[in-house]
Amino acid sequence: MRKVSDRHRQWLMRELPILESAGILSPEKSGEMRTYYEANTRSGLHWAVVAFAVLGSLLIGSGIILLFAHNWDAFTRPTRAVLSALPLALGAALSAAALLKNRGTAWREAAGLFHALAVGASIALIGQTYHLSGDMPGFLLSWALLVLPLSFLLRSTGVYLLYLALVCGWSGAAQDTYGQAAAFWLLILPATLRLAYLLRTNRDNVETAISLAGLLAALCVGTGIAFERTVPGLWIVAYSALLSGAGLLGFCLYGEREGWNNLPKTFGVIGMTVLAYLFTWTDMWHAIGWEHLRYGQQHRLWGVWLDSGVTLALLAGWALAAAKAFRRDSIETVTLAVFPLLSTLCFVIASLALEADPLNALIFNAFLLCLGIMYIVLGCRSGKLRQLNGGMAIVSLLLVTRFFDTDFDYLTRGLVFIGLGTVFLTVNLVIARRKKQKELAA
Amino acid sequence: MNKSLAILLGALVVAQFAVLASMIHGKERILREGEAFQFKTQPIDPADPFRGRYVRLGFEADHIPLAQGVATDLEYRETLYATITNDEAGFARFSGWSRERPAAGAFLKTRYLGEHSEWDQATTKSTRTGLSIALPFDRYYMDEAKAPRAEQAVRDATRSTNCWATVRILNGKAVVEDVFAQGQSLRTLAARK
Repeated sequence: MRKVSDRHRQWLMRELPILESAGILSPEKSGEMRTYYEANTRSGLHWAVVAFAVLGSLLIGSGIILLFAHNWDAFTRPTRAVLSALPLALGAALSAAALLKNRGTAWREAAGLFHALAVGASIALIGQTYHLSGDMPGFLLSWALLVLPLSFLLRSTGVYLLYLALVCGWSGAAQDTYGQAAAFWLLILPATLRLAYLLRTNRDNVETAISLAGLLAALCVGTGIAFERTVPGLWIVAYSALLSGAGLLGFCLYGEREGWNNLPKTFGVIGMTVLAYLFTWTDMWHAIGWEHLRYGQQHRLWGVWLDSGVTLALLAGWALAAAKAFRRDSIETVTLAVFPLLSTLCFVIASLALEADPLNALIFNAFLLCLGIMYIVLGCRSGKLRQLNGGMAIVSLLLVTRFFDTDFDYLTRGLVFIGLGTVFLTVNLVIARRKKQKELAA
Repeated sequence: MNKSLAILLGALVVAQFAVLASMIHGKERILREGEAFQFKTQPIDPADPFRGRYVRLGFEADHIPLAQGVATDLEYRETLYATITNDEAGFARFSGWSRERPAAGAFLKTRYLGEHSEWDQATTKSTRTGLSIALPFDRYYMDEAKAPRAEQAVRDATRSTNCWATVRILNGKAVVEDVFAQGQSLRTLAARK
């Protein structure tokens, strides 16, 4: 059943007497509305209960890991072997209770998270008892694979986030130990499937939003780690497609909603801005592309195919999201859709031409300036201070950085600054005149 | 409760316990049936966030000696089998390697980590002396209070006497049984300090 938040109910309760006194609502109808919304109010305490349950199990689970890490060497080896199974047995019992009694979200989350941490504690204790070498990737991978089914069985978001964290941790450890972490893409697949299911069944749920944010963060971190970087600079295209795709996905799923109510869009727009800012530096475009392939222990030859495949998959995801979300009358979707095209174009230019670094940097300086102005204009039009401030922050950051940037000579910077200043003042003058004319006409 | 969900949870818990049991069984079997070797070591004391404090074991015999001019076509992290022999003093050393599992004798299943070089003072050049390999017994976990004391005990001990780790090896797999300094177990030494 659809439930409203307590904040909205309180607002309505204040409005009803006003509507009654204005004769819009009869006292009977007002009473019916009062009864209906009192019965269908979502308690704010629900999420407090879940949050405290999750925090409690997280702390107890971590505490058990630390307690075992103390290393009680007074116990014999067989005793320690039995002890290592205890946290897992307790976790399994809690999970079974959560399923058997069909308990609520708080129970499922707390039991699932405790069970997942208990798996890690048990494996760690065996490693400690038998003095296993520091195979961190092996430890994290076993842990991740053993907790993955729990996120499906208990429908636990906490376990899902822990799995994502373990997969990211594994990719970092694997890249460090083995020199590659290609299996990251396989490990992230089940998490993607679970999210697709959540989006299909209940996209407005808070758990779906948290899972989506978690997966986007994991993809952002994992792409950086698992990329082989055999083709220098290919990450520019991959990240542009990923972040732009996330923003466009936000438009597909949640329309024009903003901030916390549209996490993928917020994530995509902020990510795109940060990337665009990085691309304004000439160093980013130096010695990249197919002409500068890297080989060795850290850069495998097959990385060319893997990185290209991943980039193509991300571009395909972006194209799909763009096809669904693109609207000519929405300047934000146009900007998000154009961003990867521009990055890819600049990457190709940098790959083909040796002296294209300043040109590419210049293109993205212009792009970032347009982005800033776009948000200033949108903010002014809609009266949204967040957009206006965001736009101002982007333009200010760009101008301050370029003022001190020695990559461009003084003459060029001086002329560009004066030119831009003139444009801003002219626009200001034109707008002021129009405003005056409108006021006179009114 | 959904019956199929309960069955799936049961299967998952069985799988989780099976992984733990197979880990315990494998290591117990090596400790019970494995051949004991003594590796000379120089321990230091770091910490692991999940498994606690441990004494990191740095071994003298951490490579397979190779004659000058002998070429290998091993790739980084390629699996190999290192054969083990005891020297005159009774300490274990790696004596050779093969890609195939040896039919007889003691051996360790490990990975190739690149060339092992040593600095020659006379020629002021670094010369290749063998193959560096990954040793899967480089940690000895201890009580968090005793580990720093153990390190101190070992530091004192290595000034006058040898320090070594007893490692049990079976079918290419190894488990550290104990670490000794001044002829005594590290646990005993650390407890006494």
